Amino acid sequence: MTRRMAVLLLAAVPACTRVPADNPTLTAVEGILVGHDTLAERPTGCTVILADGLVVAGVSQRGSAPGTRDTDLLDPVNGADRVDAIVLSGGSAFGLDAANGVMRWIDEGHGPWALRPTDVPIVPAAVLIDLWVGGKPSIRPDADCGYRAAGAASRARVAEGSVGAGAGATVGKLTGLARAMKGGVGSAAVTLPDGLRVAALAAVNALGDVIDPASGAVVAGARADDGSLRDARTLLRSGAPLQRPRVAENTTLAVVATNAHLTKAEANRVALMADAGIARAVTPAHTTADGDTVFALATGRWIGRADLNEIGALAADVLAEAIVRAVKQATVVAGIPAARDIK
Amino acid sequence: MGIKTVFVAAVATTSVSVLVAQPFRAARAAVEGLRYERPQAISQRTSGAEINATLTAVPGIKVGHFTLAERPTGCTVILVDGDAVGGVSQRGGAPGTRETDLLNPLNMVDKVNAIVLAGGSAFGLDAATGTVRWLEEHNIGWPAGASKVPIVPAAILFDLGVGGNPKVRPTADCGYKATDAATTAPVPEGSIGAGAGATVGKFGGPGRSMKAGIGSASIVLPSGLIVAAIVAVNAVGDIIDPATGKVVAGVRNPDGTFADARKILRGGGTRQPPRAGENTTIGVVATNAKLSKPLAARMALMADDGYARAISPSHTNGDGDTIFSLATGRWDGTADITVIGALAAEAMADAVVRAATQATGVAGIPAARDLRK
Repeated sequence: MTRRMAVLLLAAVPACTRVPADNPTLTAVEGILVGHDTLAERPTGCTVILADGLVVAGVSQRGSAPGTRDTDLLDPVNGADRVDAIVLSGGSAFGLDAANGVMRWIDEGHGPWALRPTDVPIVPAAVLIDLWVGGKPSIRPDADCGYRAAGAASRARVAEGSVGAGAGATVGKLTGLARAMKGGVGSAAVTLPDGLRVAALAAVNALGDVIDPASGAVVAGARADDGSLRDARTLLRSGAPLQRPRVAENTTLAVVATNAHLTKAEANRVALMADAGIARAVTPAHTTADGDTVFALATGRWIGRADLNEIGALAADVLAEAIVRAVKQATVVAGIPAARDIK
Repeated sequence: MGIKTVFVAAVATTSVSVLVAQPFRAARAAVEGLRYERPQAISQRTSGAEINATLTAVPGIKVGHFTLAERPTGCTVILVDGDAVGGVSQRGGAPGTRETDLLNPLNMVDKVNAIVLAGGSAFGLDAATGTVRWLEEHNIGWPAGASKVPIVPAAILFDLGVGGNPKVRPTADCGYKATDAATTAPVPEGSIGAGAGATVGKFGGPGRSMKAGIGSASIVLPSGLIVAAIVAVNAVGDIIDPATGKVVAGVRNPDGTFADARKILRGGGTRQPPRAGENTTIGVVATNAKLSKPLAARMALMADDGYARAISPSHTNGDGDTIFSLATGRWDGTADITVIGALAAEAMADAVVRAATQATGVAGIPAARDLRK
């Protein structure tokens, strides 16, 4: 059975394409499955976004300290016209190994689609850096982590907080690690009356504070001695002494997805526009110590028509929402406080 | 009488300002009550006491505007006294630029003499030719054998549909005059220069937009580090104050209240896909710090977050959003690029908001300050 036939079969089964109204996460997009694997030995892990069918992808890589694989392939000038999965992982560049596990899992035929023997799974990935959190830095996501996360992938509502790639994620490190707060995984989705759906998933491990763009208020970030939020914007504008940003501590990763049909160039524009969501919800963003990277996926399962700008703008909106949710849903790990613990 | 004065008078005497004032207040009240009940105190300007809170707060940077009389359009020249290291972030989908490839850190030339921002769509790139002529007359440029070649990157915005004959657009003569007018004085803001014909809030279709223009802001740290921004705002999107999340200027409902592009996007109203011939936000950030060419590019990239925060949506396929960066290196201190880039984003967001609050109505298009009366 070819990949395209598999897509058609799935599309013909309403139960597979209909999305429960109570799933405001990335898996609300038809054709997207998400799985986490969180290591027991240290708070770190990986998150796999599986593409069920022909999914077109793009990327916006604008942080200055990235750890990525197969992002060149997503350049519209280059050939590959679909991806099989995206992997977000902790563990710094070591964590890129998780993608190898996802390739193995797909190659073994476990995916929701059938493979031809010559098919090469296309699995772009990006990592965040959490080696300093909670114990031995030599513990990091490996190929097995990716393999397990792929096996756990489902259409269920995405688990948020201190799980998967966000297990060891932190934010608010402008004044040092001791004043940081817990980050994590967050997800959000929007569905328009015409059926267009745009959703986002973020693993938030930013140097900066997380801001709710709807109000301008800090949700989680660098804390003062009394535990109150100092506000990165105030710190920056006052010239207060800051810790020199270190590359080994940060990075926000995201995947946005839509059920619309996009060309590869359009998918890259959506990733670029979605990047505004990081700018709005993280201050400062895209620093020399962040490897901020946004992938965009288009499943094409929706038959309607939408303007590219509308999709990109909604992607930015839901990504900002997902980032805010990441810190709101996070729980204390290794003594690092979370927003929900601060009254 | 300058064109700015003419149009202020024109708007004041029409019924537009009267008709829209009431709904505007209603819109603010509605928006405040509905969604944004948690305002936060981030001061709009670094210090109200500062004499020059604009781009020219950076020593060695001069700014000059020239506004055409025939139609609301013009150009703005950022002139470097000597030269500065430059960078660019070009991320809008409909750009009109020159010499941006030269700013790629892989390429050789690492100094620029001036940046030109102009109205008039791609025709307006001609303004840079006038700046080049002015610089050559003053023997300024990159040493290239027998002559000095002025390095003048430029970007344009699309204002051809505003206020009269679209054949009227900034020419080389406009660029020459703006360069000649450049001073270190605080930058005049509002409906002037490259922002003379600039508008925002076009996500809801024709007739619902508002006037924006030129805005500028600066941040001075106790250490002596200065980071400043200037921008000509002609976005598809609404202008949002990132400190509060509130709309400052944008798509209006038929009754004159703010529709809020973010709500329109989520299915709350009629929308109009952006058209490439109507938009674009172009700006410059500058610092007195010393930066390498790759770090100047990083500064421009980070400053781009200022657009993302103050414009919604930003970087559409109908916007040619572009930001240039300049580092004069006149300050002896050291600052991390993360601080410089983060402050550039802050200053740029401030400047975008000011471009909306300082604008005056032009050609029947109301500005935020007209509505507040």
